[in-house]
Amino acid sequence: MNFASRPLFSLHGLDFRYPDQTEALQNIEATVHSGDCVALVGQNGSGKTTLAKHFNGLLHPTSGSILYKGQSLSGKYLQQARLEIGFLFQDPDDQLFGHTVLEDAAFGPRNQGLTRAEAESAARQTLEIVRLEHLAYKSPHNLSFGQKKRAALAGLLAMQPQVLILDEPTANLDSFQEAVFLKLLHDFSGTLICISHNLIFLYECCSRALALEHGRLRHDVSFSNLVTDRRRMRAYGLDFSFRFQPEAPRPERDLAATGNHSGALSSGPFPKPQSCLIELTDYSFHYADGSQAIRKVNLKMEEGERLALIGENGAGKSTLLSVLLGLKRGSGEYRFDNRAVTARNSRKLWRQVGIVFQDSADQLFSASVREEIAFGLRRLGLSRQLRDERMERVLDQVGLQGFEERVPVHLSGGERKRLALACVLAMQPRLLILDEPTAGLDPEGEEQILAILRDLRGSLILATHDLFFVRELTERTLVMHQGGILKDLSSRDFLQDKGLGSLNGLAYSYRLQAGEAIQALQQAHEHALPHLHLHDHQHWHGDVQHSHPHLHEHIHGFIHSHHQDQEEHGHPPRRVQEHVHRKHELEDHVHGHGPEEQK
Amino acid sequence: MPDAVSSSLPLWQILLLIVFLLLALAAASQALRCLFRGQSSEEDRDWSVPPLEASKGRSFFHSWDVRCKIIALVGFSFLVVSLDHLSLAFGALTVSMVALIAARIPFSRALMRLTAVAAFVALLLVIMPVTVPVHPGDRLVVLTEKQWLVFNLRGLDLALTIGAKAMAVALLMEPLLGTAPLPITLHGLSRLGVPKLFGQMVLLSHRYLYVFQEEAGRMATGMRVRGFQRSSGLSNLRVFGSFLGMLFIRSFERTERVFSAMQARGYHGAFPEPETKTLSCIDVLLAVLWLLAGTCLVLADRLMQ
Repeated sequence: MNFASRPLFSLHGLDFRYPDQTEALQNIEATVHSGDCVALVGQNGSGKTTLAKHFNGLLHPTSGSILYKGQSLSGKYLQQARLEIGFLFQDPDDQLFGHTVLEDAAFGPRNQGLTRAEAESAARQTLEIVRLEHLAYKSPHNLSFGQKKRAALAGLLAMQPQVLILDEPTANLDSFQEAVFLKLLHDFSGTLICISHNLIFLYECCSRALALEHGRLRHDVSFSNLVTDRRRMRAYGLDFSFRFQPEAPRPERDLAATGNHSGALSSGPFPKPQSCLIELTDYSFHYADGSQAIRKVNLKMEEGERLALIGENGAGKSTLLSVLLGLKRGSGEYRFDNRAVTARNSRKLWRQVGIVFQDSADQLFSASVREEIAFGLRRLGLSRQLRDERMERVLDQVGLQGFEERVPVHLSGGERKRLALACVLAMQPRLLILDEPTAGLDPEGEEQILAILRDLRGSLILATHDLFFVRELTERTLVMHQGGILKDLSSRDFLQDKGLGSLNGLAYSYRLQAGEAIQALQQAHEHALPHLHLHDHQHWHGDVQHSHPHLHEHIHGFIHSHHQDQEEHGHPPRRVQEHVHRKHELEDHVHGHGPEEQK
Repeated sequence: MPDAVSSSLPLWQILLLIVFLLLALAAASQALRCLFRGQSSEEDRDWSVPPLEASKGRSFFHSWDVRCKIIALVGFSFLVVSLDHLSLAFGALTVSMVALIAARIPFSRALMRLTAVAAFVALLLVIMPVTVPVHPGDRLVVLTEKQWLVFNLRGLDLALTIGAKAMAVALLMEPLLGTAPLPITLHGLSRLGVPKLFGQMVLLSHRYLYVFQEEAGRMATGMRVRGFQRSSGLSNLRVFGSFLGMLFIRSFERTERVFSAMQARGYHGAFPEPETKTLSCIDVLLAVLWLLAGTCLVLADRLMQ
């Protein structure tokens, strides 16, 4: 048979319903050819993972069909096909069921019919590729998260698959591990189908995009076309251009203006620094197995300060956060609000310090949103009236009004994250800790979280790998490495220091480069089509002549120049919402634009 | 008639003695745990070398055929459990300790295992002497003037016998389970006729126990940071129920995902079999000797009656 002319996968009218009759996929028509690098994109809950599971027969269509090399994926053919199609699950613990890393990596090759020696040899080779050969006989549960991800990929690569399907391969990985993953995928010569909200990563490894919305395939375009078309991206909740915007001006801290003397988190102006909120002196912590998680950490944080905690996976960030929450006690001195934290009073720190975990599922366990928010408020001993008031306020704050009776476990990823945040905000802690607030969120969810966090005033610690959030939300950055604080500097200085990444093994450069490339594509695209533009030039409203930035639609097939001394204009894309004079278009006015008017 | 020995110890002193004894045992157990907690020989291991190769020539237990090892040590354990006399129970304990030394198991690991049964043994030592029924010929120590608290030496003898047997069996588990990787031991079991599915279930349970433990730990932390404190109130029971329910849902979803991941890599009912060595005459001979030693202990025990 000649497979070269035939698509590798053909999907015809594919529908899928879950047993509870939830319609997950509708009328999917697509083909994937050998060697394609396809990105499956869409919002949380759009059906990406459900579709991906059809590619290796983990789910079967309710109606319609999926053909692999011209044959339906069922029976013995399915068994055979699965040995050619590798599927990387989002959580590596789902995939690493072997007793040792080597045993796990050899599992697939053994099922392909290789002898033990051959399978182990194949497994060893791939472990070498993912740089885990020195841990071949270690149990998977003793690996770090990044190592687990790479071990799971090794298990697939050992099968020498023709197709690799990856579900959120970079979720929760630091930038170094992400770059390692990218290198591995660049070296893969087969067909790649990748699901991710990390569009910069997808831009680097995929050439084609299948955009899903509510279970329907809306677009099948080249990836560069998708990222350049912001209007389309926004429609699918994928527009991540907010990350390219220039830094927004920060409100000044001013406690007197708010009258907020308690230091509790709230919306409004920043409280003025008044006292030292946190002070750690020579603080160290050892785990039970003797390994040192944090070593001789010295840290001072003022009330109202917003601080970022950066570091590779395993640098000690989470342990430090546990110490600050009073969950772990090591050696050294910890003072909160100028009082020493002892074994006794550390149990009451929860009243002052709130945390939103990386995985919101870890802190949502109640039967309804109302119960979930009320949980902490009850522990604070608040009256029912006060509880209801606070609940109403935080639900409004995070955009979950009307969700009171919904079951948390049935909410989407973005909604759950906002609910977790609401639960903590309702308790009005003096210090809010956010552990990877964007983990697993689609760009729209990220933007929503960012908008909420931008409005918060109060002390904040943000542990993240996301430099954009560091820039937007914090003033000071601590770089952690091997349990210690390597650098303590302003976030502005941190972000401008290009060489800093190499200090703690992090590699941010590829993200920055890819971001710049996408931004350039978007600008070129916008200037070739009718587009909204922000201009600042003289214009008239009747007899009144004035100047202010305003938007209007235009098209030009030439390189636009705003200033005499610049041949090209280089402002980042702006939004319609940035129009400072909203009714401008409706008013009777005359204006023109062009380089000559700028003179 | 039982032999009675009177003592004029007042009740408060006896209670104090018991409390002191229990506290001393608890402190000793805790001290041992703390002492050996940081000593992890596993961390120093070279993980690029297979466990069997890493332990090659370490002891005959490491190279012993796993089927013979299971039959010999499990059989010996059953024989030890049937012993009635203290002296022979201590004899069995000695054999276990010799096996432990021969298997070159780290002393700290053996002690950690012993501390796990120490509480059970301590409870027996405290309760049995004062609760066993008095038989003719029993030696009794009357601790109070009004003779309501009687310390029966036969009870102490029984408690010590049970304790010694429990410790002998617990110690034998180290040479049995600690000298071969778990998949090989389970494969040995399946070759002895235990259903393969049982081995797969144990293996997966062993792997995912840690994952579920971590998940439960993170959820418990999530509750603690919002003010949850353990108590027996009705509202807490409700919260605890929600916690267990959510843990169950998450575990159930995880098992579905794990099964999907197994299917995606070609699983259709059986795990690939691990490497096994061929059975030799020495393996069989060693197993027979072990069982003979156990049988001798039982025979001696019966003859002493």
